[in-house]
Amino acid sequence: MTPTTKIYDPHAARGVSGFLSDLWVGLSMVELWRAFAWDEIQHRYRRSALGISWIVLSFLMFVAGVSFFFAGFSGRGVESFVAYVAIGYAAFIFITGNFVDGCQVFTSSSVWIKAVSLPYSVHVYRSLFRSLLTFFLQMVVVIPILVWAGIRPGAVTLLFVPAVLVYLLNAVAVQYLLGLVAARFQDIGHLVTSIVRLMIFVTPILWVREGLEGARALAADLNPLTHYVEIFRAPLLGEMPRSTSWLVVVVLTVAVWGVVAMVAAAFRRRLPYWL
Amino acid sequence: MSRILVDNLVVTYPLFNRAKSSLDTQTAPLDAGEDFGGAHKRLVRDRRGYVTGVRALDGVSFRVEEGERIGLVGANGSGKTTLLQVLAGIYLPAQGRVRVEGRTTSLVNINLGMSSEATGNKNITLRGLASGRTRSEIEARRTEIAAFAGLGEFIDLPVSTYSAGMRMRLNFAIATAFEPEVLILDEWLSAGDAKFRKAAAKRMVEFVGQAGILILASHSASLLQENCTRGLWLDDGQLRFDGPIEEVLKAYEQDGNRLVGAAARA
Repeated sequence: MTPTTKIYDPHAARGVSGFLSDLWVGLSMVELWRAFAWDEIQHRYRRSALGISWIVLSFLMFVAGVSFFFAGFSGRGVESFVAYVAIGYAAFIFITGNFVDGCQVFTSSSVWIKAVSLPYSVHVYRSLFRSLLTFFLQMVVVIPILVWAGIRPGAVTLLFVPAVLVYLLNAVAVQYLLGLVAARFQDIGHLVTSIVRLMIFVTPILWVREGLEGARALAADLNPLTHYVEIFRAPLLGEMPRSTSWLVVVVLTVAVWGVVAMVAAAFRRRLPYWL
Repeated sequence: MSRILVDNLVVTYPLFNRAKSSLDTQTAPLDAGEDFGGAHKRLVRDRRGYVTGVRALDGVSFRVEEGERIGLVGANGSGKTTLLQVLAGIYLPAQGRVRVEGRTTSLVNINLGMSSEATGNKNITLRGLASGRTRSEIEARRTEIAAFAGLGEFIDLPVSTYSAGMRMRLNFAIATAFEPEVLILDEWLSAGDAKFRKAAAKRMVEFVGQAGILILASHSASLLQENCTRGLWLDDGQLRFDGPIEEVLKAYEQDGNRLVGAAARA
């Protein structure tokens, strides 16, 4: 074990390089954040009889219920609509989950942040790992639905891989940013929860954007979540995502990273004082 | 190799629900502050007189060399815990500079650094990983930690079922098992029973003998005499006395008597 020297002054670990090293060193502590995440998952489901199967079960209940009531309005065949809802809802849960979890990613870890000097990103990866597990379990359910709906994988299907990578990239930035902001301004958590609740209705998950015209089509396109969901859902349904969607997502990803880099560079080390 | 250098350290806690002190500092009698240990001087105000922060440490400087065992004394609110937190790298200084050489472990609050839903065993893993140890290093120490903590079968129960003493023993056992070079301990150690204090003292001597630094904050003179060689006395966020532990304790005690005497006369 090599000796370690740490220097703490008002400028220590400031700046973008401090933030990037926090992200990198945190990422390398994979065993730690995986252990934190498993511990959290275990105690969340420990006392329920069905345990982790609840993730799959509640997902199926939602997809079945929505398909039953909304399939007739969609203009798609029933099988295709079920697949559409299942994929879209899984993506939606993952994306908005990052917003909600992000608001408490640091406040819920205050017991550790105030006790052990670790890269703060460890707590972000912990939170992300847990929501990835949910996402993964839901995708396992989606596969038989795709088979049943008669959707066969093709070359276009592979486009879901970059979509997942972009999701992860966004998730880290959004959780880190909201974690900091919500620790300082506690109203943010309430605001985000309220907005997310509304998003399920204004994002094309329960309804289909194609076929809409005029103001409503425009409103759907102004919602960034429409595009985030699109780049993942379309390839899995065997359709080519619109290039507009990819463009919007790439621009927003760069913007989010720019903002989080600035905020974290300036205020990251004030976090323990805010908790 | 371990060493600590603290240079002109200032720490200010921000206060967000801005308060205006009901004590009017402009017209209150000059000696009013004295009874509160000069506490009003430590409130940071903006131009309109609102309190925006609390200055916990104000220009503290000292250095600690390898093998020294430091006892930290001072009244409640004198900045002991804050100093320990800064040395542990939790809080960043507002001004000044701190340099800590050596792997550091801190035990500042027994409720921190533990997942209370997780079992004792799981917490050994978490804390081991958090101090940068590998799985195999953790497994190699697990039995020893459990034995020192003396938890028996409780080691497989969630920490939330533990008594304060059990939490403390487990925490201490984990913290010292991974051979830190700088060990930072706050007040709570003196809450242990005689048997634990003896075992803990032995373990601390062993570990400082292996080229380490111990920083121990306590109100218990006997605990400090048993474990420390040098004393630091913090008074209102400033370093008032730095010297051999016996001298520091004597001066601190005399100051306490003087205050009590003054209060009795008044």
